[in-house]
Amino acid sequence: MTNTIQILSIEKTGKESSLQKEHNNKSIKIIDGYFFSTNLDDQKFTKISKLISNDVSQTILTKKNVNKVLSSYSNFNWVVEIKFLPGVTDNIATTVKEIIKDNLKSSFKSFELGSTKIILIKGRKEDITKISKNEANPLIQTIKIYPFKKYLNNFKKNQFKIEKVKLPKKKYSKKEINLDISDHQLSLIGKLGIEENDKSRRGTLGLDLESLKAIRNYFSTIKRKPTDVEIETLAQTWSEHCKHKIFSAKIDDIHEGIFKKYIKGATEKIIQLRKDYFCVSLFTDNAGGIEFNKDWIICHKVETHNTPSALDPFGGAITGIVGVNRDCLGFGKGAKPIANTYAYYLADPNKNYQLYRQKNKDPMLPANFIAKGIISGVRVGGNCSGIPTPQGNVYFDDRFAGKPLVFCGTVGIIPKKIKGKLSHKKKANPGDIILMTGGRVGKDGIHGATFSSEELDPNSPVSAVQIGDPITQKKMSDVIIRELRDENLYSSITDNGAGGLSSSIGEMAKESGGFIVNLEKVPLKYDGLYPWEIWVSESQERMTLAVPPKNVKKVIKRFNARGVEATIIGKFIKKERAIVKYNKTEILNLDMVFLHEGYPKLNLKTSFPKIKKEKKKIIKKSSLIDKLHKLLSSPNIVSKEFIATQYDHEVQATSIIKPLQGEGRVFGNATAIKPLFDDEKSIALSQAAYPQYAETNPYDMAGCSIDTAYKNLIVSGANSKKIAILDNFCWCSSDEPDRLYQLKEAAKACYDYAVAYKTPFISGKDSMFNDFKGFDKTGKSVKISIPPTLLISSIGVVDKISHLTKITPDDGDILLVLGATLNELQDSVYSKIIGYERSKNPVVNSKDALRTYRNFEKANKLGIINSAIGIDLGGLGIAVTKMAIASKKGLTIDLKLKNKISVDQFLFSETQSRILVSLKKNKLANFKKIFKASDYTIIGKCTGSNVIEFKDNKKIMRGKISDFAKSYKQNIKGL
Amino acid sequence: MNVLVLSGYGINCENETLHAFEVVGFKGKIIHINDLIQNPKQLNNYQVFAIPGGFSYGDDTGSGNAMAKKIMTNLYDQLTDFSLKDKLIIGICNGCQILINLGLVPSLNKKDPEVALIENKSGSYECRWVDVRVSNSKSPWLENISTLNLPVAHQEGQFMIPINLLKSIKANNLIGLQYINHHKKLAKGQFPFNPNGSKDDIAGLTNQNGNVLAMMPHPERAFYHYHIPNWQSKNLNKFADGYKIFMNAKKFFA
Repeated sequence: MTNTIQILSIEKTGKESSLQKEHNNKSIKIIDGYFFSTNLDDQKFTKISKLISNDVSQTILTKKNVNKVLSSYSNFNWVVEIKFLPGVTDNIATTVKEIIKDNLKSSFKSFELGSTKIILIKGRKEDITKISKNEANPLIQTIKIYPFKKYLNNFKKNQFKIEKVKLPKKKYSKKEINLDISDHQLSLIGKLGIEENDKSRRGTLGLDLESLKAIRNYFSTIKRKPTDVEIETLAQTWSEHCKHKIFSAKIDDIHEGIFKKYIKGATEKIIQLRKDYFCVSLFTDNAGGIEFNKDWIICHKVETHNTPSALDPFGGAITGIVGVNRDCLGFGKGAKPIANTYAYYLADPNKNYQLYRQKNKDPMLPANFIAKGIISGVRVGGNCSGIPTPQGNVYFDDRFAGKPLVFCGTVGIIPKKIKGKLSHKKKANPGDIILMTGGRVGKDGIHGATFSSEELDPNSPVSAVQIGDPITQKKMSDVIIRELRDENLYSSITDNGAGGLSSSIGEMAKESGGFIVNLEKVPLKYDGLYPWEIWVSESQERMTLAVPPKNVKKVIKRFNARGVEATIIGKFIKKERAIVKYNKTEILNLDMVFLHEGYPKLNLKTSFPKIKKEKKKIIKKSSLIDKLHKLLSSPNIVSKEFIATQYDHEVQATSIIKPLQGEGRVFGNATAIKPLFDDEKSIALSQAAYPQYAETNPYDMAGCSIDTAYKNLIVSGANSKKIAILDNFCWCSSDEPDRLYQLKEAAKACYDYAVAYKTPFISGKDSMFNDFKGFDKTGKSVKISIPPTLLISSIGVVDKISHLTKITPDDGDILLVLGATLNELQDSVYSKIIGYERSKNPVVNSKDALRTYRNFEKANKLGIINSAIGIDLGGLGIAVTKMAIASKKGLTIDLKLKNKISVDQFLFSETQSRILVSLKKNKLANFKKIFKASDYTIIGKCTGSNVIEFKDNKKIMRGKISDFAKSYKQNIKGL
Repeated sequence: MNVLVLSGYGINCENETLHAFEVVGFKGKIIHINDLIQNPKQLNNYQVFAIPGGFSYGDDTGSGNAMAKKIMTNLYDQLTDFSLKDKLIIGICNGCQILINLGLVPSLNKKDPEVALIENKSGSYECRWVDVRVSNSKSPWLENISTLNLPVAHQEGQFMIPINLLKSIKANNLIGLQYINHHKKLAKGQFPFNPNGSKDDIAGLTNQNGNVLAMMPHPERAFYHYHIPNWQSKNLNKFADGYKIFMNAKKFFA
């Protein structure tokens, strides 16, 4: 009899090697453990062990062999046992249970099991403690460290324990909340949550005093007290995350708010100017949709998952990516996800910041743990879902030490018409059944929406962390896209993200009028949840469907046949009421208009911030070649190949321009996929953000982001008339007037440049409080705010395969720079790495930029361009070097300088809107027919040798391509 | 000529795999494993059984293991029968891991799995293009192929084979595909030519009849010329190397 199955790999695994290397210890072994809630007899033990292990590569530990087997590896003396805290998603355990159930069938008796990672070492207790810190997160896992002897003893005496969620059996009685209390008491409800009978608080609602007063007024007019569920629901619905109150607030003299004026306003203006059918669905749905070809629509959405990723990087990031996948599934009648994008803004993984959420306790996770966790979270989420992840980037800055930014995006595709009806239109009809499908509901993610509106401080609730389960979602997604959608079996669909059911049903019910939900019908992961918890839980992998009653049986049957749960939990009604019942007791009954529009509108004021000047640094005297090496190996320019190769970008067989480009594998600015087998049109993707420019001039920062994201698609070969963009604002301290000033400026630039380029915003999101308030290692209180970051994601259609460009020149090609180079070194990579120079920040001149882009597009379609690369971080010098590394072909660059700028300014200025191109010699005449002499500079040619040469009037400076490649492909320290 | 392409529980390359078969002339259908379990007789309608790539059960308990156990429990006899007939089976990537876990490849001594696929030596997921060669195989899948340029994308692609078994695998010419370097010589375990550290650079194995092929690289992702990295710099035919594998299946039945 035993209650554990433990398996180890006979040979050293990759994971073991990397652990051994990292900790400089050859005696490390990892065991996969499974703890059961019941004892298994010998027969069951043998059978189950066989089901979950591999005879050839693994050994199963038994009471008899454990000592002998383990001592054959080393004389281990310490053990760490890592398992999930009760209630945290344990995907492996779910699979194991499913295998056992399928195999044992009728003899299967229900039991609980948990997966465990057990690490054995020979070493000191400090060593195992260090390993445990790198391998486990105390927020979601229990970490037990004990001597090896105790491990053997536990094994022999069946003392491995599984911890189940044990919530006290609660008898629910309707809870009414008295709001006729002092302002102080009222604001405590907002900040700390509703008070339980035992005086404990539920956790932050993120409601300010004004909102609570609005709630109080509403209930006093209807002459009753609100229930706890009503307050929780209003908190979710009115959260910054859901309502974007800052973007919709009156700000200075902008009455309609910056979203309406600048973002939506830009798109409306562009639609008016364009007079075409490019924009299909904007801002209202889960993602934005544009026309791909005459039969198909593509949609794109980018989300952030910053705070959860700070607390549990792996869980936060995987939830981010599978969450945004659901935004595509929830676009129109359900778009199939066809590409993922990512962008991470992180602290230096090689630094130890030592930040604490509370004085001397509750430490922030180390920067490298966060970076690694985020990178692997998206890897597992994307790869397991079978969605290619071709496009992304990573940027490092100390100011992300308190909060990493994790942007996750998804592109989807859907036929324009389904059974003759427009697929992007959906409407839940009165009488439609509310069907919840996918995963079950637990305590995970409770208060996620309200919490993302708050700064990260000691009261940040730990239950705000979820872990995605991509396989459950994949199963659900396959049923929706393949077996339901094209038969029009449901009338509307949306995803359960922030705010859970309260948000998804609340939003969808706007289509019909209102809803009635019976919360006791919702399937739960474990007993003991309060109705309000069920209602707002953010447990993952769930979609909500509105299904006409006649189709309900069929729909449920199809889900169930694929191992997916689907449950009727209520119905949509015509009356504009939101009604929730729990075992027949009505616990929520609100007017829909109040629910969605009753929140007090903010009235914001801005003020001009003090410009934080770049600190003067002494310029390090070194040769040009040396400077190039320094820049190439700096974290923000160095190749991100190690991410590209771990993210499957080939699945779905659509990858056509890959993340690593040229024989020399340079990490590209844009990628492309060809989503349909029978149409040569492709989708080009890119993105850009310049947080480093933000403090100097937020307007120009936004201009640069839009210009770069747009330029990268033009350079890749996209049709300029078929480019759309998405805005993701990640701001800090958005209650401070100077931060709001920066926000307003950035938004204004969004309008100006989008309209100038006639490229519409189709979707966007904001996250306004990316600040960390806590303590440093000495106990001094610190606040770390991210630099304002605006990520612009671009998506464009490439009409023909032949329009797609490459970044590799050929022997004899002439090299040219399109666009003028100015002295714009301020906030550049150069100024950070090499040293400060009195200079200007990059400013986008949209007129000049557009001339370059239109001419480039024309020349490219005529086959005049042989290769091209957008010039961005590190300037022309880095662009030239990347071309040489990618093609493995030598270049010679003539430093005949224009406009009285220095060599360093010419090579490293980050002047925007420039493209480095190469032409075959015989194309120059045709090129000159399109470009005016003042719009380009011939800078050299491709020699095909193994060096890059820079020729000055006086001297020639040379560097070997292979050496440059070495610098460019250096490992990022700490990762 | 009909091909059954398996789906479900996280398999995710079924569309492109079916497409590749269709382009060379097969009729095909994607069938969910649960539907096949419900009605295994439908296997009789098909000449080719393809298990595409993906992440069945999220690779939990080892890649391919959980799906292999589901097939063992519910479909093992039918699939073994299929493999003994004049029919073809292919497992690509996760499909390869499933076939290996089922023991349908190399299937030398008719007992449980003889070979294992373990985590890549690098410890990380590897999505990259590799070159492989066909080594002395008599498999219809690999006929008249010398080398192939294909992508791999896996976390657990390292073949682990007990020494004695490796000897008989070699003696029986069951090594279908091996990783080679830029000079068209065996990669000798050298990364990145051999992306996972596989013993003897093995990238694919067959059964004794050669009608069952388990391969880690993805031929369906190297189907058209524009799938090939840096295709713009090359003079290429319409189809890329992966096409040859599917054509061979067609020729087998022609």
